[in-house]
Amino acid sequence: MNGLHGIIFSYEKRNNLRELTEIRSAASIPFGGRYRAVDFALSNLVNAGVTDVGVVLHGRYQSMLDHLGTGKVWDLSRKRGGLRVLPPFNYQKDWGAMPFRGKIEALSGVRSYLNTIRQDYVALMDGDLVVNLPMAEIFEEHLKSGADITVVCGDDSFATEDGTYYEKDESGRITEVLYNLHSPRGYRGLEVYILSTELLKELVDDCTAKDQYSWRRDVLRAQREKRNLHCYVWGGFAAQIRSVQEYYDRSMQLLDPEIRAELFTPERPIRAKGADKSSTYVGAEGRCVNSLVAEGCRIEGTVENSILFPGVVVEEGAVIRNCVLFKETTVRRNARLSYIIADKNVEILADRTLMGHSTYPIVLAKSSKV
Amino acid sequence: MKKECVAMLLAGGQGSRLYVLTGEMAKPAVPFGGKYRIIDFPLSNCSNSGIDTVGVLTQYRPLELNSYIGSGQPWDLDGSTGGVHILPPYMDSKGGTWYKGTANAIYQNIGFVDYYEPDYVVILSGDHIYKMDYSKMVARHKESGAACTISVMEVPWEEAPRFGIMSVNEDDMITEFAEKPKAPKSNLASMGIYVFSWKTLRQYLTEDEADPTSENDFGKNVIPAMLENGEKMAAYRFAGYWKDVGTLESLWDANMDMLSPESGLDLHDESWPVYARSVNAPPTFLGTGSRVAHSAFNRGSILDGDVQNSVLASNVRVGKGARISYSVLLPGTVVEENAVVEYAILGEDCRIGVGCRVGGAPEDTAPSPWGLTVLAPHCRLPDGKQVRPGIMLDRNGEEVSK
Repeated sequence: MNGLHGIIFSYEKRNNLRELTEIRSAASIPFGGRYRAVDFALSNLVNAGVTDVGVVLHGRYQSMLDHLGTGKVWDLSRKRGGLRVLPPFNYQKDWGAMPFRGKIEALSGVRSYLNTIRQDYVALMDGDLVVNLPMAEIFEEHLKSGADITVVCGDDSFATEDGTYYEKDESGRITEVLYNLHSPRGYRGLEVYILSTELLKELVDDCTAKDQYSWRRDVLRAQREKRNLHCYVWGGFAAQIRSVQEYYDRSMQLLDPEIRAELFTPERPIRAKGADKSSTYVGAEGRCVNSLVAEGCRIEGTVENSILFPGVVVEEGAVIRNCVLFKETTVRRNARLSYIIADKNVEILADRTLMGHSTYPIVLAKSSKV
Repeated sequence: MKKECVAMLLAGGQGSRLYVLTGEMAKPAVPFGGKYRIIDFPLSNCSNSGIDTVGVLTQYRPLELNSYIGSGQPWDLDGSTGGVHILPPYMDSKGGTWYKGTANAIYQNIGFVDYYEPDYVVILSGDHIYKMDYSKMVARHKESGAACTISVMEVPWEEAPRFGIMSVNEDDMITEFAEKPKAPKSNLASMGIYVFSWKTLRQYLTEDEADPTSENDFGKNVIPAMLENGEKMAAYRFAGYWKDVGTLESLWDANMDMLSPESGLDLHDESWPVYARSVNAPPTFLGTGSRVAHSAFNRGSILDGDVQNSVLASNVRVGKGARISYSVLLPGTVVEENAVVEYAILGEDCRIGVGCRVGGAPEDTAPSPWGLTVLAPHCRLPDGKQVRPGIMLDRNGEEVSK
């Protein structure tokens, strides 16, 4: 079968997401009012006709398992193929003691799974990437370019924690692979790759034999001259969620209609689990402007420049500015919040005032009470 | 596979008093409350009451309804035994007919019910907005030893003549039934929800079918025949929100009720969720210049105008300077800049052009009569068009009478 297979990485790695990843991996972080980060990678693949997707997990994956379920939301609950959840079943090191050090190690941890892939090509994606890529088009370009590996890069001024950057020549061939830079240059890698299944298995086996574990160091950087690495540049919105600041800045970008139109283009819908909640109600005295609001909220106070997930309650007199409030946050009477990211089920009692700053948004951990 | 209880949901009616809204779909498929369709209420009630086998009797324009129900998964009605089954009229070796009446619809599906060998059958309608635990009603049915239990609620005496009215004795057993009585003897109105002992009902349905003069209707024929024969008939008193949304006015009222939990229609209550097949769309965006008050909205909308006392379904767009009040907007409706919509129901995918004026408040039309303004699904109004209060337009924008 000459198609594309998806592998999504959702294991713990170096990041600066503080309380947001205390209870979950970065890939299952809520984003954009009703999504989890991984919804984007899954939808990108499914919208390109991908029917088989493996999700590699390691560490704090309870929340991810809950979210994925059978994969039905993405039409990946199938008799043949569909969603394969891949906890570290073949992991050689101490069970669960340490996260994977790199993608090669993660892939060698699920090496026997790689043999079951029915498709000739594989797309590797990170679960913490929020983007709406035309994967079908990228796959086509990969086939046409004759590249060994296509590397998808972003084209904006955003840097990311622990990012990888690429330089390319005029033909699109990658000439340099850079990371741990003092000041980033080149194109920011989105950690989305397409290559043939055969090559992937070969690379994993070769590297594992030499005790190499890093995809970017031991494959991309070490073999950049030997292999034809092709750069696909994506000019649209592409956010890697690796720090609280990135999370906040990228969330706030969604208040821009052009960014939303790009990320939520109707041709490639982002699918997410429903929330079985009623409509959102704004009260007679409520005021809600320049905000993205999910269903099941009750707004009696003031909300400005904010993102509200399902079931948020803002009582009378409360004022919410520049905040991201996760599912079922309750803000009691006359409380005032600005630059706050409240995790699920947080309660802010009456008359409290909490202020972060745009350069340091405050995170309130899940189920905390202020 | 034996089931104690099977529900049969009558969803074949045209709902002619919803006029243009049911031009292309059956009444139970009409959107409600910004997120739901009417049929979500009985289906969710079944699911929450522990009834896992539901037959949905369809006849009029079933496409929308069939695709909406699908496998029944949104209501957890896709189990490997039971689940939701769509039951259209069918042909057999001797021919076949449309469903002639509510009782005939069940009669034609005796085979379906028999398959599950139920002790009890719950008969439901697809045009009521309410939350009800049918298991309590079945418990009342068992405890009273009745052949039939009818759900009733107290209505104001002056409204009683509009309903089927039950007279009961001190044990709440039904002694008399009067369909729309001019001089009601009681104010207990039938809600059109019945529990029958299947063996008894099966026999009455067969007899009713053999009577060529019968209209094959539960309220007109089967229930009176059972009373006449002295069958034990119990009343089950229901207190709570219940509304028949068979008319444009009542559909509008019920939508307004969901804005005020005091009305009794609380859809945020998580102990009795109303499920729906949800639309996949991003959250709604409220623009900088928007003003939304005492209103409800769902997913995928972009609101830049002024929205008051209104219920907006998914993927609605309200342009800058537009004003919407006391209205119900069904999915995909677009209201362009500076248009005004008051006291209206706008069908799915309507487009109200720039600067249009649709409908008006009751006080604006006095002394001439006032009414809701209703637009059929897919109706597109050119810029600047005026539509007076009480007018109804079909999908081509032509006026039709109510």
